[in-house]
Amino acid sequence: MKTMKRIVVILLLLAGGVAGGVNAAAALTCRVSPDEIPITLGYHGTTLTISGESRAGDDLIVRISSANSEAHYKYIGKAGGVVWMKKGDISFKNVPGVYMLYTTRDLEHLLSTAEQKANLIGYEGLKEASEVIGEDEEITRDPKRWMDEFFKFKEKENLYTIQTGTVTRRHGQSSDSYEVQVAWPFQAATGEYTVEALAVRDGKIVERAGATFTVKRAGLVKKITDLAFNHAALYGIMAIVIAIVAGFAVGIIFKGGDGAH
Amino acid sequence: MYMYLPIALASVNYLLVVGLGLVVGLLSGLFGVGGGFLMTPLLMMIGIPPTIAAATDANQIVAASASGTYAHWRLGNVDFKMGLFLLIGGFAGGAVGVQIIKLLRATGGADFLIKMTYVIMLGGVGTFMFFESLNALKKGKNGGGEAAAAESAKPAEQKKGLLSFLPMQTYFEKSGVTHSALVPIGLGAFVGILAAIMGVGGGFLMVPVMIYMLRMPMHVVVGTSLFQIMFTCMEVTFLQSYSNHTVDFLLALLLLVGSVFGAQVGTLLGKKLKGDQLKILLAILVLAVTVKIVLGLVMEPSMHLALKGGH
Repeated sequence: MKTMKRIVVILLLLAGGVAGGVNAAAALTCRVSPDEIPITLGYHGTTLTISGESRAGDDLIVRISSANSEAHYKYIGKAGGVVWMKKGDISFKNVPGVYMLYTTRDLEHLLSTAEQKANLIGYEGLKEASEVIGEDEEITRDPKRWMDEFFKFKEKENLYTIQTGTVTRRHGQSSDSYEVQVAWPFQAATGEYTVEALAVRDGKIVERAGATFTVKRAGLVKKITDLAFNHAALYGIMAIVIAIVAGFAVGIIFKGGDGAH
Repeated sequence: MYMYLPIALASVNYLLVVGLGLVVGLLSGLFGVGGGFLMTPLLMMIGIPPTIAAATDANQIVAASASGTYAHWRLGNVDFKMGLFLLIGGFAGGAVGVQIIKLLRATGGADFLIKMTYVIMLGGVGTFMFFESLNALKKGKNGGGEAAAAESAKPAEQKKGLLSFLPMQTYFEKSGVTHSALVPIGLGAFVGILAAIMGVGGGFLMVPVMIYMLRMPMHVVVGTSLFQIMFTCMEVTFLQSYSNHTVDFLLALLLLVGSVFGAQVGTLLGKKLKGDQLKILLAILVLAVTVKIVLGLVMEPSMHLALKGGH
């Protein structure tokens, strides 16, 4: 029994030593400001500042993403060889709702395609991790084409972006400091988001640091959402009553303007 | 300048949305149409998801049509009896139409049918109204204006033929016509089915039905159509809020601020125009929307993916 306890203590000390060693060597840090984004009535997105310190000379990739899920859409194709219309269902498995990538230099100069795929960096990396689901022959024939369509769609929604050369660095004596300003889109849903800073040296990712931030509804926006989802009947009646009252009120205001009976 | 819409999950320029409401409300007051066939695509263009756009539009139409109905009622232009029969038919037809769509969605091919129904109905109605009113206007220019106007507003006794043998003959005082109550109920049901298939309020279908099949005078048609639309959209607003949570009240509020004023202005403007002038303007509007839909069908879209819901 005593021997077992000794082994456990030794293992813990060793683990602490290793962790301490890693911490001592770590030069990369990551901060995000603000770490909480309230969605209020005047919300139109916001500016996020992601900053930190890195080892001198390292290149940086900053990635913002949400948890992976399955996204469902309709795909548009030609019907009867004449008209374009929604033809059927298509889903994308294991894709993040938001994916934003910022780098110090062109991604191709930082990491090889194989390295991007291995670390799920960029659209090539995302393609590697995700899957296109659809029964129609139009989808199964060329799934990669539909992944590109998905990226295009998400970019139009401002939820996916890859911006190279946007992470700025300031060189210090022993380390660099870095910063990137992110135009956070109002289209991004509520929830927790992960920010990862990746240090790149000689075509390899050598260090990682992370932070999180949350987007949540606040004030009147929260109250209206709660009412719409938790008291739907009351919400519906309220919407109708206000519409009727507004309609008749304006009608009465206009009453004096003509010679009606 | 921006307002966040909690259900649509979009941030919009509120002046732009109020402006959209104003324009569509103006058309509503002028022609007696709810404007859903215009507003829903316009809302989608500013980034509102299709399901939210369609449901919220119904909510704002309640306000615009209430405003328009009130204005027309004061002018003596609402045939409540006719409106009630159309409404009964419309409610029943709407329920049947929803079931048809469910069936079609299960078997596939619903979207194609919806698009084709849109093009055929809008194109057919628009073309017919355009040439009919053009002829009437030409007659007016050639000195037959009064005669043409009298003809278009003439009670339908001598024109309705077989329909006069139907039971429940009723005189509609405000419209100056006699029909079996089954006629407006049946026509209301027909429009209700089509409206449910197309996902619209049906005003642009109901107006021609009232003019050409029920032979109602144009100005009474507009007021009565708005009265009927108000109730249809109340039902849609409640059902969409309750079942699908797709009504964005703040968006509806912005739209209705514009649309209720627009409806009043449209009503006043409509008083200054003749029935045939109103008809030809509505025909041009309907044909323009048809052309837009046809172009959307034949031209390759920039995106080959779309959100689920809407048309």
